[in-house]
Amino acid sequence: MRRRSPARVAALWTFALVAAAVMVFPFYWMLNTSLKPASEIFASPPTFVSAQWSLDAYRTIFETRAIGRYFVNSLIVAVGSTALSVVLASLAAYGLTRFFPRGATPFVMFLLFTKMLPETLLIIPYFQLMSDVGLLNTHLALILAYSSFALPFSVWMLIGFFRSIPREIDEAAQMDGASVLQTFGRVILPLARPGLVAVALFTFLIAWNSYVWALVLTTDSSMFVLSVGIANMVGEYRVQWNELMAAAVIAAVPVMVLYSLLERHLVSAITAGAVKG
Amino acid sequence: MNARLRRKAGLAFVAPAALFLAAIIVFPLGHAFWTSLHRVRGLNATFIGLGNYARLADDATFWHSLGVSFAFTASAVALHLSIGLALALVVNELRTARTALRIVFLTPWMVAPAVGATIWLWLLEPQFGVVNYLLRAAGAIAAPVAWLGEPGTALASVVAVDVWRGVPFVMLLMLAGLQTIPIDQYEAASIDGAGGWTRFRFVTWPNLRYLVIVATTLDVINTIRHYDIIGVMTGGGPAGGTEVLPALIYNTAFRGNRLGEAAAIGIALLGIVLVLAIVYVRTARLDDDRIVR
Repeated sequence: MRRRSPARVAALWTFALVAAAVMVFPFYWMLNTSLKPASEIFASPPTFVSAQWSLDAYRTIFETRAIGRYFVNSLIVAVGSTALSVVLASLAAYGLTRFFPRGATPFVMFLLFTKMLPETLLIIPYFQLMSDVGLLNTHLALILAYSSFALPFSVWMLIGFFRSIPREIDEAAQMDGASVLQTFGRVILPLARPGLVAVALFTFLIAWNSYVWALVLTTDSSMFVLSVGIANMVGEYRVQWNELMAAAVIAAVPVMVLYSLLERHLVSAITAGAVKG
Repeated sequence: MNARLRRKAGLAFVAPAALFLAAIIVFPLGHAFWTSLHRVRGLNATFIGLGNYARLADDATFWHSLGVSFAFTASAVALHLSIGLALALVVNELRTARTALRIVFLTPWMVAPAVGATIWLWLLEPQFGVVNYLLRAAGAIAAPVAWLGEPGTALASVVAVDVWRGVPFVMLLMLAGLQTIPIDQYEAASIDGAGGWTRFRFVTWPNLRYLVIVATTLDVINTIRHYDIIGVMTGGGPAGGTEVLPALIYNTAFRGNRLGEAAAIGIALLGIVLVLAIVYVRTARLDDDRIVR
């Protein structure tokens, strides 16, 4: 493995860079288009770098469309789902690892099962139920749905984290007079912080990126989240591609920033399960 | 603490999540099955037993959709796996900029599928889209192609977008797998005079095979359920050419307003997924340490 010919290294890099270019090109094109004036969108041949880049499309979508509103809706739903899912998951994972170590496996199998249900199947009864209880067009309906989707993975991942914290720590805390709840909240949770961060980020992304649930559960355009608002713009009579791409940038950038900041964290957590063989 | 108190404390911790899942997943699932036994028109539901299932068995649309699902899933998964593995092998050999490359390769996976699909709609736009421009400039096509205008090219297009979105995750899994292979196995092989292919064949592959099987099963389960990309790009059209089962369920339920039939199709899809899940659990010899996403 030590001696590698320069030709081989060059070939590897060429392959990697070409692949990377294909992966990222759509995002470049999104950004490029979003910065063009409307007149240049239909230029032939298309301009790969424009002399007239401006932020006009961004201004237009905030002024004439409800992008700001969609953004806030996405944020409320994503933050709400994250909070609910982290609380429920950390309680459940702690309870399972500390009180029912044998029960953890069947429960996790059940979680795995719920993770595999087709979304489009669940949406039907969920839509019926939410309309029965009058929760269509509310943030709460989406928060409940997304938390339930993120919960199985979150519980599973936190079980791993709590298991790695020795039980002697719990026992020591309780010897010092801490109650079960204090042990959990003041001693164990802080130790599991990396796991909590990964779980929170994971849930946030699921909620932020989700589409079909919001499509079915919101009909009032003031309740649209970004993904639905953007996909709806495609159906318009005459699509303004620069505005559409500006909206896509606004949906994509927060996710990219979060990822690059926390990449190592999340990625190792997600892949760990499959790779331990 | 005595045993009974401990039990109670434990239940108090687990109960909220368990009740929540029961209310948000299990109850709706039962409700879906119940709906599938009814003919639903607006607010009226008539119990018809297995009538919806009997109808499905004779329904050409359903069988066509099953075929589309199969074609979509098989081609997307095959491409995810082969490209993902190839990229992982390459990135694993590079010594610099690995983290940067990993983030770059992951971008398509982190962005919402619905948003990624919207970007691709613009790239594939027949008249002004950059894909047609580049292909014509390269001489690959003579005239602009309406990619989403015909069943064949539309299916190929949504597969391509799903491959773009799905390769990164598989690559990541494979990369993580490659990094667990002990270096001394490669060194031993090199001392025995093994070349690149022989090293792959006798060191990399045996070590990775298990992970490849697990990743394939999981990827099939995820791809066969996927809706967002097709929902945004074609909605199942043209002429049902991209109407995979999830799209058929959505269209039957929310465009055709036939909730009972849609639920029956959904239960059928669930059946397929469950068979795959059993395969997964058996091959992965699952303990709770090994569930992905």
